[in-house]
Amino acid sequence: MAGPASANRASPPPVASATDVTKVFIRGSEPGRIGRLLGRSAPPTVTAVDDVSIEIETGEIVGLSGPSGSGKSTLLHLLAGLEVPTEGTVRFQGRDVASLSNRQRTRLRLEHVGIVFQHFHLLESLSARANVALPLVELGVGRRTRRQRAETLLERVGLGDRTGHRPGELSGGEQQRVAIARALVTDPTLVVADEPTGELDTDTGRRVLEEFERATDDRAIVLASHDEETLAISDRVVKLHDGRVVDDPRPDEKGVVDHRSGERTVAEFHE
Amino acid sequence: MSIRTRLTRIVGFLSVGVRRTVARATATDRQRVQFTVLGVAATIALLVVVTGIGVGLATGTTVYDDDVDYWIVPETDGERSLLVATDQPQFGSVHETNDRIRSYEGVDVTSPVLAEVLRIERDDRSEFVLVVGVVNAPGLESVAGVSTDALSHDDPHYANGTYDGEWTGEVVLSSGAAGLLDAERGDEIAIEGEERFAVHDVDEGSSAGGNVPVAVVQLSELQTLTGASEHDQADQFVVGTTTPAVRDDLEGVYPTSEVLTRGELTATQVADSDLSLALALTALVVAISIGTLFVLTTTGLEIVADRNQLATMSTLGITTRSQLTLTGVQTVIVTAIGGLVGSVGGLGVIRVVNEIATRTVTTEPIAVSHYLFVVYGTVVALAVGMLSLPYVMLLTRHVTGGVPE
Repeated sequence: MAGPASANRASPPPVASATDVTKVFIRGSEPGRIGRLLGRSAPPTVTAVDDVSIEIETGEIVGLSGPSGSGKSTLLHLLAGLEVPTEGTVRFQGRDVASLSNRQRTRLRLEHVGIVFQHFHLLESLSARANVALPLVELGVGRRTRRQRAETLLERVGLGDRTGHRPGELSGGEQQRVAIARALVTDPTLVVADEPTGELDTDTGRRVLEEFERATDDRAIVLASHDEETLAISDRVVKLHDGRVVDDPRPDEKGVVDHRSGERTVAEFHE
Repeated sequence: MSIRTRLTRIVGFLSVGVRRTVARATATDRQRVQFTVLGVAATIALLVVVTGIGVGLATGTTVYDDDVDYWIVPETDGERSLLVATDQPQFGSVHETNDRIRSYEGVDVTSPVLAEVLRIERDDRSEFVLVVGVVNAPGLESVAGVSTDALSHDDPHYANGTYDGEWTGEVVLSSGAAGLLDAERGDEIAIEGEERFAVHDVDEGSSAGGNVPVAVVQLSELQTLTGASEHDQADQFVVGTTTPAVRDDLEGVYPTSEVLTRGELTATQVADSDLSLALALTALVVAISIGTLFVLTTTGLEIVADRNQLATMSTLGITTRSQLTLTGVQTVIVTAIGGLVGSVGGLGVIRVVNEIATRTVTTEPIAVSHYLFVVYGTVVALAVGMLSLPYVMLLTRHVTGGVPE
């Protein structure tokens, strides 16, 4: 299932790419004029992602691994357009995400990105069906079609008989499957999942991963996880550490896997 | 995006907003939503109660102080009018009964009342006027809105049932009757052809219903004119008292009678409509102010607590505008429900207030209760919701976005 990481100029651009991306978060707020007069120093910063480059192609499942604080979630958020980089460029289907307005990025996520969280983040007061159908409401899809599409997807993830249940009435595994159905309902080109099995037991986690494997047609999936079994469904696993890519096994245009690292050149790697 | 798509989206979010609110109120967030609803409801209930009392004052049905009035009327199936009851059963031996009622402890004043629509002539004018016969006594003050001050006390012509006492011929005209007959004090008039009547007073401040022309005369003289002297008949009794307990005695006066309360006969008009309007307006302003502040506080807390869900929506691609629609719908629904609950509750409180009032200080309700108050309260609650919207939306815009934790 490995996707072609082609450098051919005629081929379509990757679904998403990050080039020399750095993301720095500021802890607290910048001092204002009075604060500066009073000698308040600038708040501390945290570099969550440091000079990272990665490409995600259609049809591939890319795993992001690394210890806590390695920048997996931040990289996911950058690729999904939830954050903009401090430095470098994140492109989505060739478009520079940083050049888009907030509203345009929201629209981009609506139409092209599906997001699955570790803690599911379903809307508690809505049924499974209404949760799945919510993005379609924003798209202006009619009620009947929304309902039909949501039920089809819930059926597909094995929850055909739980469509009217609210999240509080579902198990963790069921909630995660609802979240997957929600992520797929707009037929996105990229699905990002942050620790999708982190809250689930082994069996349930395995079923959830099967859903991801089934969902790869014409789209790319990026999974961030600590869990090796979760990452095992990936076509490649990009390893991060302290915000930097330390390993990204990807085939070059000749079909040879090119282990890149933020720290090392290709030549250095082969030496 | 086409208009149709936009409309579908708006309707969709309205629907989601309604479902979300209902689910939160009944299942997922009951306490918080119920707290907001109850807060609005309490404010609106207060508004309804104060407005009910204000309207009660304005319509003049309220008996204030300790003045209490009763009307004893024959028991009938149909509707009865306190003024015109010519085709109704009548009471007999009313002068004797009047003396008996007057002897009851707590009774300040009492009079039988006979009302007939009769032709009155003055010079070449001839008009039909409601002629009301009474037994005047100190404290009666007015009957049918016309002052009885100018009438001699104790109905002299009756003379212990002989009807040969002094014929006073005293007539007090309401301003409406005086206008119709072009009569003034001292003019001689004829009632049903009987010419021994003279206008003793024209009550310019009379408050007879609308412009109904009313002439108040001695009861026995009216009985003589109408033939009601045969059994000493009258239509009703009016009783002024300071003791609600008198009602039990009054109910035993005639076996087939009803004792009704009326405030308009002798009750002191301590409140005028301006005060009532001021009271109702104050209640409205207070309800809107307090209600809005309450909704701002509770909804604000709710939105802050809900920010993770708002952030989730943002990540899914739900625009801030759509989220504003959702929170706006939720706010308006919650306040509307609060308004409805408060209005209905307010009507309940009015019942309780009236019950307590009639058991203690008055004989009739002090506050008006009307189903339109439900509409009024709900509309005011909706206004509260609408007034809260700008802040609610500002706050939503402020807290939404980012990545859910």
